[in-house]
Amino acid sequence: MDRDLLRQSLNCHGSSLLSLLRSEQQDNPHFRSLLGSAAEPTRGPPPPQPLQGRKEKRVDNIEIQKFISKKADLLFALSWKSDAPATSEINEDSEDHYAVMPPLEQFMEIPSMDRRELFFRDIERGDIVIGRISSIREFGFFMVLICLGSGIMRDIAHLEITALCPLRDVPSHSNHGDPLSYYQTGDIIRAGIKDIDRYHEKLAVSLYSSSLPPHLSGIKLGVISSEELPLYYRRSVELNSNSLESYENIMQSSLGFVNPGVVEFLLEKLGIDESNPPSLMRGLQSKNFSEDDFASALRKKQSASWALKCVKIGVDYFKVGRHVDAMNEYNKALEIDKQNVEALVARGALYATKGSLNKAIEDFELALENCPNHRNARKYLCQTLVERGGQLEEEEKFLNAESYYKKALTLDETFKDAEDALQKLHKYMQKSLELREKQAEKEEKQKTKKIETSAEKLRKLLKEEKRLKKKRRKSTSSSSSVSSADESVSSSSSSSSSGHKRHKKHKRNRSESSRSSRRHSSSASSSQIDQNRKDECYPVPANTSASFLNHKQEVEKLLGKQDRLQYEKTQIKEKDRCPLSSSSLEIPDDFGGRSEDPRDFYNSCRTQAGSSKTEKPYKSERHFSSRRNSSESFCRNSEDKIYGYRRFEKDIEGRKEHYRRWEPGSVRHSTSPASSDYSWKSVEKYKKYTHSGPRDFSRHEQRYRLNTNQGEYEREDNYGEDIKTEVPEEDALSSKEHSESSVKKNLPQNLLNIFNQIAEFEKEKGNKSKN
Amino acid sequence: MESPEGGGGGPAARGPEGQPAPEARVHFRVARFIMEAGVKLGMRSIPIATACTIYHKFFCETNLDAYDPYLIAMSSIYLAGKVEEQHLRTRDIINVSNRYFNPSGEPLELDSRFWELRDSIVQCELLMLRVLRFQVSFQHPHKYLLHYLVSLKNWLNRHSWQRTPVAVTAWALLRDSYHGGLCLRFQAQHIAVAVLYLALQVYGVEVPAEVEAEKPWWQVFSDDLTKPIIDNIVSDLIQIYTMDTEIP
Repeated sequence: MDRDLLRQSLNCHGSSLLSLLRSEQQDNPHFRSLLGSAAEPTRGPPPPQPLQGRKEKRVDNIEIQKFISKKADLLFALSWKSDAPATSEINEDSEDHYAVMPPLEQFMEIPSMDRRELFFRDIERGDIVIGRISSIREFGFFMVLICLGSGIMRDIAHLEITALCPLRDVPSHSNHGDPLSYYQTGDIIRAGIKDIDRYHEKLAVSLYSSSLPPHLSGIKLGVISSEELPLYYRRSVELNSNSLESYENIMQSSLGFVNPGVVEFLLEKLGIDESNPPSLMRGLQSKNFSEDDFASALRKKQSASWALKCVKIGVDYFKVGRHVDAMNEYNKALEIDKQNVEALVARGALYATKGSLNKAIEDFELALENCPNHRNARKYLCQTLVERGGQLEEEEKFLNAESYYKKALTLDETFKDAEDALQKLHKYMQKSLELREKQAEKEEKQKTKKIETSAEKLRKLLKEEKRLKKKRRKSTSSSSSVSSADESVSSSSSSSSSGHKRHKKHKRNRSESSRSSRRHSSSASSSQIDQNRKDECYPVPANTSASFLNHKQEVEKLLGKQDRLQYEKTQIKEKDRCPLSSSSLEIPDDFGGRSEDPRDFYNSCRTQAGSSKTEKPYKSERHFSSRRNSSESFCRNSEDKIYGYRRFEKDIEGRKEHYRRWEPGSVRHSTSPASSDYSWKSVEKYKKYTHSGPRDFSRHEQRYRLNTNQGEYEREDNYGEDIKTEVPEEDALSSKEHSESSVKKNLPQNLLNIFNQIAEFEKEKGNKSKN
Repeated sequence: MESPEGGGGGPAARGPEGQPAPEARVHFRVARFIMEAGVKLGMRSIPIATACTIYHKFFCETNLDAYDPYLIAMSSIYLAGKVEEQHLRTRDIINVSNRYFNPSGEPLELDSRFWELRDSIVQCELLMLRVLRFQVSFQHPHKYLLHYLVSLKNWLNRHSWQRTPVAVTAWALLRDSYHGGLCLRFQAQHIAVAVLYLALQVYGVEVPAEVEAEKPWWQVFSDDLTKPIIDNIVSDLIQIYTMDTEIP
């Protein structure tokens, strides 16, 4: 309760108001104390009825006093004080915003004496005054004030108020000379009030802006032109010349008066807030209004309820399989209510079912933003994230996949699938790292051994490659696809490598790989087959010894030799060329182990693999292509998965600095297109895939699980069949990756097997070419 | 058409106990409804004032028995929104009104009843336009009041202005005046001056040098204003407030 206000009011109205107040506001605790202390009805009696006007007012005032007393708790509440910053009024004339009027006192025709008195009462330091220089002395200049310039409007032009601007407050305009010389009598000056002597009615002004308060300090002080005189003053001058003009006329003829925004502008100027409109009616006090009753809140609730209806219909459609209708209903619901959680979740589920996982994820995330505790949204989002991660993994975007799994885990720590997927991924990555390390070690070892006959071997290999290449050319059309596969695989290997933060290496590997693949074929002890293919893919490099084509003979020779050294060489080259997945290593092993692995899913794969075996001696591309073919035949994405797997393996290898993967190299070669040497290995790997013998359980547990049990893929059960179909594909890929990794491990022992298989492949190749 | 319960039952229930004629009470109630709905719909002061004026003017031409006052009120809100360029959706008006009458109800469903309600508002709007002869644009005191406030503010000592909520109170008084039919009986400028006068009175603020002036400040603002008019308006306004306390 504002005491001062109350006191002021009491002073004006007198004791009758006090008694009324007492009776009306008895129950109000605020008033009791106030009335107690303000109980000096006689203290400030209005100056003893000097004027009749007062008396009359008094009489009429009873009604008003009653009113006051009744509404006193509202009127004198502290919260009613206007918050308008009184000082923030820059004197923008804003002629067009509202009607700027001449000062009120001018209309009221208040005598000069009173105006003067009031002026000196009200003027403050920091106000801006505008005046005309009347005389210049050596200690400063005098000016006669004509108007005020900081937003206050007073009519002082005729009051002959002078102010002194001392010399020290005049900024100098030149380096030497008297600053006062800049000014002349009659100049219009804008200055800030620096000092006031109210009793003696003396003013001191300054031309420095330091005399102004902060919010006015931007205003330029000094000489101004007559155009810069404030608008109210100009109007005032006009009024003086035509004193019959009424306030109303001036107001209504002013352009600002008809400004459509005048009400808002002035409300802001006066500090009245429309969003919380004041009222003296008890029933309209804004604190009585509940937020729920406002139009916007009601609309939201209503939209949500309408949208929910549409969602329900949509879900019914979804259940009977009318997906298009369901989507329509969901979209309708979302049009009604953009942020409807149920609609978003339902639509997300529909997207996920259809396979647009990204859109599904978007919808779920949006739903979770609005309602973080929505169980279904969380659940679905986790599943979709894991699924998407799986897809990415297949595409060899392992870091992406990892981030998806992690995201799923952060959403729901207990989500086992995500955790498993993540672990599997980690293990896989780790394992490939290990493999590469191993290969590197082996290569080191190999290095120390010897490679004396390298030159001869190289030549032999070259010849073989050439032969193989010729054969390959005749072979199935798949070779072209293989070459493209080769390229793509190489590129993918490089890309996937980069994913593993081995960009440079990768690029180098890649560039080298193209050459080295050729080179490799020539020199490559291991097998390389695919030189032919390589030639198809890349232009023959000019100089290198690497331009040998690897041929079947070479491969056979190689195989016959079982020469680790060859492997070594090839591995060296391989290593340079491209990071092959360590899985390549494991091919020989694979054969041994692979067959053990049950692979229902890839039965057809197996048969295909058989045919692809003929191509074994060929470059891995061929292998790859055959793989691809077969995969295409039985499983849409299997080749992609193989692809991915190979790439992945390459990446893994790429990660290692110098993998002399000896054994891994061989395996690697077989898998990478770049490594012609190991094409057979890749074939074997392929076989491995087909056998889907996930060796590396530890690494790819999850995948393994998936692989072995296509049907066991229990995720995404929410979304229905569609999703399930995706799973098997994932399984295929992962199984292949498994096989690759497992291959890596077990290479060393089974070279003989490898050679045998190469021979088989060659035969098959021959068969294929016939086909 | 929805006929909410409060409207018809109110006036009849009260006997002729005192000043406010039963009709005036109804109008007060309905005007209260308009004001409250206006706040909840986020309407500015002037559109609300227009809505009230339309409502009062309508029932000067017709009588209460013929039409459901609350429906007229809803339509006048809708119409005022159009006139004063603060367009409102019928859906919002219906929602707020429905909530006003059924505080604990659920939001309306998009069914035939909803569409009927909407239709009735739109039909009523046309009816009102015809009754009012399409003269639905009014001069409101608000603009005048604001200018007067600015002029007065410059004349008053800045500190006393700052500590006295004259502007806010005057605005509140002006808004509340629309519960009654002041707007139809007095000129806009006069109402503005009277409201300002009352606000100054309430706080005991004196206009400086009022006594010495040739012309009283209120005379300055409006030439044809006289003190009795001011007093009339003030007493009418206070009267309106008494209805507030009597009617729940």
